[in-house]
Amino acid sequence: MSLAGKRILIAKPGLDGHDVGAKIIALALRDAGAEVIYTGLRKSPQYIARVAVEEDVDAVGLSILSGSHVDLVRDTVRHLREAQGGNIKIFVGGTIPQEDVEPLMSSGAAGVFNASQRIEDVVAEVDRLLDDA
Amino acid sequence: MPESQAGVLDATARRELAREISRLARASAQSVLRAAPIAPVPPARRIGFTGPPGVGKSTLVGKLVERRAAQGVSVGVLAIDPASPYSKGAILGDRIRMDQASGDPRVFMRSVSSRDSQDGMCNNVADILCAMEAHHFNEIVLETVGVGQAEHAVKALVDTVVLLMQPETGDAIQALKAGILEVADIIVVSKSDLHGAPKMREVLASTVRFGAQRAVGWTVPVLGVSVETGKGLDELEAALTAHAAWVAANRTGAETQARRACYRVQDLVLRRLDDQLAALSPADYERPVAELYQRVLEGLQQT
Amino acid sequence: MNKPHTELAEPNQPSLKTPSGIEAPEVATADMVHPEGIGAPGEYPFTRGIFDNGYRGRLWTFRQYSGFGSAEETNERYKFLINQGQTGLSVALDLPTQCGYDPTDPMASSEVGKVGVPIATLADAEILFDGLDLAKLSTSFTINGTAAIIYAMYLAVADKRGIPRAKLTGTIQNDILKEYVARGTWIFPVRPSMRLIADSVMYSNEQTPRFNPISIAGAHVRDAGCTAVEEMAYTLANAFAYVDELVRRGGDPNAFAKRLSFFFYVHMDFFEEICKFRAARRYWAKQLKARYGVTDDKALMFRFGVVCGGSSLTAEQPYNNIVRVGIENMAAVFGGAQSIFTCAFDEAFQIPTETSAEIALRTQQIVAYESGISRTVDPLGGSYYVEWLTDRMEEEMEKVMAEIDEYGGTVQAIEDGYLQMRIARRALERKLDTDKGDRVVVGVNHFRHEEERNELGEVFRMNPEAVKTVVERYHHVKATRDNAAVERTLAALAAASATDDVNLMPLLVDCCHAYATVGEMVDTLKREWGEFEEPVRL
Repeated sequence: MSLAGKRILIAKPGLDGHDVGAKIIALALRDAGAEVIYTGLRKSPQYIARVAVEEDVDAVGLSILSGSHVDLVRDTVRHLREAQGGNIKIFVGGTIPQEDVEPLMSSGAAGVFNASQRIEDVVAEVDRLLDDA
Repeated sequence: MPESQAGVLDATARRELAREISRLARASAQSVLRAAPIAPVPPARRIGFTGPPGVGKSTLVGKLVERRAAQGVSVGVLAIDPASPYSKGAILGDRIRMDQASGDPRVFMRSVSSRDSQDGMCNNVADILCAMEAHHFNEIVLETVGVGQAEHAVKALVDTVVLLMQPETGDAIQALKAGILEVADIIVVSKSDLHGAPKMREVLASTVRFGAQRAVGWTVPVLGVSVETGKGLDELEAALTAHAAWVAANRTGAETQARRACYRVQDLVLRRLDDQLAALSPADYERPVAELYQRVLEGLQQT
Repeated sequence: MNKPHTELAEPNQPSLKTPSGIEAPEVATADMVHPEGIGAPGEYPFTRGIFDNGYRGRLWTFRQYSGFGSAEETNERYKFLINQGQTGLSVALDLPTQCGYDPTDPMASSEVGKVGVPIATLADAEILFDGLDLAKLSTSFTINGTAAIIYAMYLAVADKRGIPRAKLTGTIQNDILKEYVARGTWIFPVRPSMRLIADSVMYSNEQTPRFNPISIAGAHVRDAGCTAVEEMAYTLANAFAYVDELVRRGGDPNAFAKRLSFFFYVHMDFFEEICKFRAARRYWAKQLKARYGVTDDKALMFRFGVVCGGSSLTAEQPYNNIVRVGIENMAAVFGGAQSIFTCAFDEAFQIPTETSAEIALRTQQIVAYESGISRTVDPLGGSYYVEWLTDRMEEEMEKVMAEIDEYGGTVQAIEDGYLQMRIARRALERKLDTDKGDRVVVGVNHFRHEEERNELGEVFRMNPEAVKTVVERYHHVKATRDNAAVERTLAALAAASATDDVNLMPLLVDCCHAYATVGEMVDTLKREWGEFEEPVRL
């Protein structure tokens, strides 16, 4: 199992209510051996950062389909840093236009995923991200 | 400890404790044995919540913690979720159901997976609870699914065991069969607005009337609680306070320490034993049992 | 970052099973059909359609969903679309409005105006409809958690313009049960939400008899990954829960059922989509008659709108989506939809541009006026395959509904998180099938481009000044309104919400007229009812 021993938080920041993608990824990561916490809907970046640090996760996956990804990622990064969780990796999934990928990476995302990627590729990529520690 | 008040952790302390818990949850029996002894800390009041899956433990713990924090009590919570037997991964779902008080600096919550443990606990759970105690929480809550021997383990690790059961399920009968009713200091029938709740409370109350607790002078209350309406929460808090007083009057610190130390040693021995047995091959198992026994003992003696 | 996956073997034939798992015959024959069960259009049980003259009597409504930025910008886009031939308005609201937060609320931050238009007070609503004749334009609002409030806003706008309420036509989606399982804009717990729905339906039946106060939607569970069978079954189960609630509140199904409508997706499996509608139409009529004793034909009619697109569209090779939407549009027409929304080809990843929105509208116009398929009512009726598949879809739908009943009914299943869990697992299954290539998606898992090309023409960018306008107006309204009136109307709302039997709608309308904000009205209700606590179950 590639993700054995890894702890990952899958979160839904903001008001976006489409949670199927997040749930699919949570289940897939669990099946790959990770310990996964899925937050449910409507969580603030501050809450997400707090849980990430308390749970000492290796990565936070943000699922955002409302178009607010740039702001929400930036806020989450900031709150993580304030909570001393600056070394927790962040990855983002959802409806992210290609031209927003680079700004997201510059604000602190380690990876950006989209809905058409295969699950095994997403899991492999997360694995690679976490091994890059 | 770099915190401003007992059990109120700043960002650095929070991060440190979180990391310490991860380290301990992963630590092999060997590394624990080789590590320096844990410095004694004043023990916190420890409460364990256990019961079958789906009974509403997390929701109840969440509500209680919220109330305690509002009263100025600092609480550290450890939630143990079962791991998937196939992938060994886990969905750690409990904390999400219980962390409404998450913004409160008096509250710290952490999930661990039971991974490959025998008794529904996580590895080094005794050490983890001590690590939490070192941060001076007023209260520590251990929440775990009651499977296998979990209830008995919880008993060793905490001061008060709260057992939750749900009406209109076979929970009461299962509990009777497994002997877990003996373990409970307080029994809660959750979702108490359901039709079968009063009857279940009756049955349980009559059973515990003759249980082992009676012999030591504690009457196990059987309470009905509905987390949805909030009914019964006051009574539960009162029962917890009453039991705390009983513990203070009837158990010495030494007894409690001994029980926990015993659990800890037992846990380490059993894990080391598992390692030894796992190292044997099918061919080894054809040897005579006395020989195998010696081999295992010798393996155990090497740290 | 996005690596192309290794090439899968090309699919060499269509799969033998429909996506819902029904095994299709190689050839359908006469003996597979029960001709006596087919009936006539406009006659119970309406398998062939609810109107005897089909689209000859009335063409379907071209209803393009749109809304973004601010009320002013949305208003401009509506005028553009109406000039281009759109015949009804479909209002998309932003997430803060949908979830009951004012634009200045911390929860609203970064979401204002992103997925739809923000409506915080009556002032925004008045601007949104500026210059549009509400007496003539049918308006549908995709709104759920705050549906009763937005409906109240709409009534308040009409009141202020002197438009008789009896002339208003349109819809509010107002389907909270599916929010809990697939769309996420819930606010209050399940039971008080059902009460609010009953209030709005009953008030609407009386005050705006031409308005559809609920559009029970299967679209979102479909988009989440369910099969066509599950889409219909979950939706009908929800519908019966609403009917039960309305009956409990004293409503007469012979009356209120006339104004219950439905809303679905149309995806790519052509015949499955057509037959699911025919099956649902028949099933609904039969159940209303048998379970609720409905006798009025108008109350037995299954009226529905559709979206062509959604998750059946791809971000890869987006121009392919124009073809997909064309096919789905035709399926909707063969299925007898009363209103159709065709997605723009870039809808998969952004708010449509004017160009893509126009193509989507043209698609409908081409199907309507060039293809001739609406010339005859239910032209596929009597086809051996279509009638056989309609029967099979009905059977499968019944099985799923029985499973929910066995669990304890749809409300219990939602409160426990059981339905949500089913949907998540089905979605995982479907994703894995697509990943393996078993479920062909052209351009995604087969027939891919080797490198990603930049396929897009223009990218729509939201006007960053829009949020400022919204917030400024919000503050202005709060500063200039009669705060005593606001307090008074909110207090009346609070008192009524604590009872079980007062209809909240007139009180909500009063609050709107006083320029109370959406957030204030929602907070008043939250104080009484609490908030829904999501049962996260995977």
